[in-house]
Amino acid sequence: MDEKVGKYWDKFVTKKASRLYEKKQILFEDYAKFLKIFYHLLGGDKAKELHITDKRFLLTTRTMFEKFSGKGKSFFLSWQDEKALYFPASLAFFDEKKLNAMHYYWLCAMLALVDITNRNIAEENTKATNFLIQKYPGFFDFYNKAQASLMIDYPELLSSDVSYPHPLWIYPSASKPKQFRDYGEEEMGRMNGKNDKTEELKMKKRAERNDNEKESDGLLLFLPESMMSFMEQINVDRQENDSFDENALYNAEDLDEITLGKKDANLASRIKIDLDISANSAEDYPLGKGHFRDEWDHKKESYLKNYVCIKPQISINVQPIILPKRLEKMMRQIQNELDLMELDRIKIDSLSYGDEINLDSWIDYKGNKNRSNHPQRFFESYKKKTRDMATLLLADISLSTESGITQEIRVIDMIKDTLMVFAESLQRLEDRFGIYAFSSIRNKKVHFHIIKNFKEKYNDIVRGRIDVIKPGYYTRLGAAIRESAKILDKQQSANKLLLILSDGKPNDLDRYDGKYGIEDTKKAIEEVKQKGIVPYCITIDVEAREYLPHLFGKSSFSVIRDAKKLPKVLTEIYMNLTK
Amino acid sequence: MSKTYYVPQSNEIELFEAAAGMNLPVLIKGPTGCGKTRFIEAMGEKLERDVYTVVCHDDLSAADLVGRHLIDENGTFWQDGPLTKAVRNGGICYLDEIIEARKDTTVVLHSLADYRRVLPIDRTGEVIKAHPDFMLVVSYNPGYQNVLKGMKPSTKQRFVSLSFGYPSPDIEKAVIMKESGVSDKIAQKLVNIAGEIRQLSESDIQEAVSTRLLVYAGKLMVKGFDPYQACVHSIVESLSDEDDVLEVLHQLILLHFK
Repeated sequence: MDEKVGKYWDKFVTKKASRLYEKKQILFEDYAKFLKIFYHLLGGDKAKELHITDKRFLLTTRTMFEKFSGKGKSFFLSWQDEKALYFPASLAFFDEKKLNAMHYYWLCAMLALVDITNRNIAEENTKATNFLIQKYPGFFDFYNKAQASLMIDYPELLSSDVSYPHPLWIYPSASKPKQFRDYGEEEMGRMNGKNDKTEELKMKKRAERNDNEKESDGLLLFLPESMMSFMEQINVDRQENDSFDENALYNAEDLDEITLGKKDANLASRIKIDLDISANSAEDYPLGKGHFRDEWDHKKESYLKNYVCIKPQISINVQPIILPKRLEKMMRQIQNELDLMELDRIKIDSLSYGDEINLDSWIDYKGNKNRSNHPQRFFESYKKKTRDMATLLLADISLSTESGITQEIRVIDMIKDTLMVFAESLQRLEDRFGIYAFSSIRNKKVHFHIIKNFKEKYNDIVRGRIDVIKPGYYTRLGAAIRESAKILDKQQSANKLLLILSDGKPNDLDRYDGKYGIEDTKKAIEEVKQKGIVPYCITIDVEAREYLPHLFGKSSFSVIRDAKKLPKVLTEIYMNLTK
Repeated sequence: MSKTYYVPQSNEIELFEAAAGMNLPVLIKGPTGCGKTRFIEAMGEKLERDVYTVVCHDDLSAADLVGRHLIDENGTFWQDGPLTKAVRNGGICYLDEIIEARKDTTVVLHSLADYRRVLPIDRTGEVIKAHPDFMLVVSYNPGYQNVLKGMKPSTKQRFVSLSFGYPSPDIEKAVIMKESGVSDKIAQKLVNIAGEIRQLSESDIQEAVSTRLLVYAGKLMVKGFDPYQACVHSIVESLSDEDDVLEVLHQLILLHFK
């Protein structure tokens, strides 16, 4: 009960102290995708990501209520470093939603302009501000309104002292007195747990590492009175799924710093036994002992003969499944586009019998002096275009696909959906296709999973095989490409397409990393092209622009910004490539 | 004095004149709406040659280029196609978006595009020697990626190639003012907007805004539309169908024309 009263009091005081218009609040997450494009529009670095900022502590004067509530000493500032832009999680400085939204665009434009190396904040910000309000009347309006409103709400800004943070300004990245750790990407991978009753913490916390591994138990080292307030250090157990704790979330919102300790759970809770050993579970069945392929060594400028062992395998005991419900809507959209393509019919003329008379050939006949020699084929027909295409889709299912896109979706899930949608579309187009997936452990084992070969019909079993795909090991891309080229080479089609679905650079445990891997892959692509096969790469690796042009040439790859769009985009790319 | 308004981006006029003088065929690459067609028209006037334009599509047959028999009251007669006309009478035959034509159609160009400069017509058995003033010009947009389309290397390697980009800001501003009649200030704004949109990568939009669209925007403004509306209808909506891109482009226009 005491606690509850405390919470209410805290909420009340905090609200009283707050000079924000919370009802008009705009959330970063709603605007993130717009801001990213806007940042590109203004010439920002395309490799940079957009993140939420953490709080900064600044010594400033505070109002009485702010002192009571503990507000006003920490601020969410906008800043950037070499990797990313950091925005406040929400903005509510103004009494109008439109202005608050514009505030985000303003910060984004400022971030694109200011020079992060200049430490004179005031000068740099004034310069950028002047540029923006001169170039854009829209920003000029915004700035005048914003400035007027801020002067009323935040009289501190009027003083010549620049220590009070200006909401319209960009600040340099925090100096690093302690060792901060960026939990960014790593965290993503681990957060793909359950999606039950979780509520996201919509702030970023200063991460600080605390070594409590050798924590001794049993002795209370603190005064019991301090138990009344929550501790600034919560043991958040990252090694098993956290149970939902409303208080923890509430506390976390108010904590300025979350300290993550590394504390091993006791042994008993760590042992996890998979007891699900029914006879029907899917397993990978090797097809033969494997065969060998060459690899290119760029230093020696020669092939290492039969260096890589390809191990073809297929999943057996899979459950046939139908197309998952979540993909049905997307399939309907794609179907509309497919319908348009199928309208595309070709005319066949010079037929002895057909649907219509072809006037051209009749006139030719009439105009020809020696009519007896002329074949009397005056008819034409329209036929559905049979596209003489064979497409092999090669999916990278290395361990990195285990990483998360959002809390619930991993890259591998998106790859599975992509394969299903792609197969479904090509099935409807009646194009010939095969689907393979690969991952590798050194040159000894390149697992080459057959999902669907060219002869096989696409059916529920194939879908089942897609469904049981698991992230494997590493990415020996060159070997997988050579194997795929071999398969495509055997197909009797005029046009052959090798689509490669990747999530990163080629790499493996041995020297197959960096330049060696890239050069081998490049060589493999050259071999593919020599065979008359068109290679095309689709990747979700945003840094791919650095190496893909070298591998595939300027216009033979696509980088997909949003991995969630992958299923639809891949199919669209395929249709565009073959239209 | 040529009537068609064209501002050169670099040395393309000299190159084109030299190629015309030496009877070399010309290939022009460039994104949509950057002035390829306008350039050919201007050059046609400058060199005082007729321009026969053929817009290629995937149903274009060799007969569409070369010609075919037609009927009138006296029976059949042969009608020259645009290519044959240009070959006989002299003039510039301009095949726009040649990449769209089927590969086998463009093979008829081969004998015209090298030293032989002859056009054999299968149906009549005639072999026409090209007029000294005949010139072959083709263009395409390298931005489109397609496995099944693309120029055969054997076709490509018969041409002198000119690569076009969007004009530099100053030239583009001049073009917009001249073509649409907007003021210097508005033209500058349109150029600024274009400069920003062209910084987007292909993962955001398929192809950047063309000079042609900027001229459309200017024309709408001169007709009395308010600048925001003019830009939205000529620039923003023509560039993308994706909600998030549209939203940001709207925002950009609002920032420029409040």
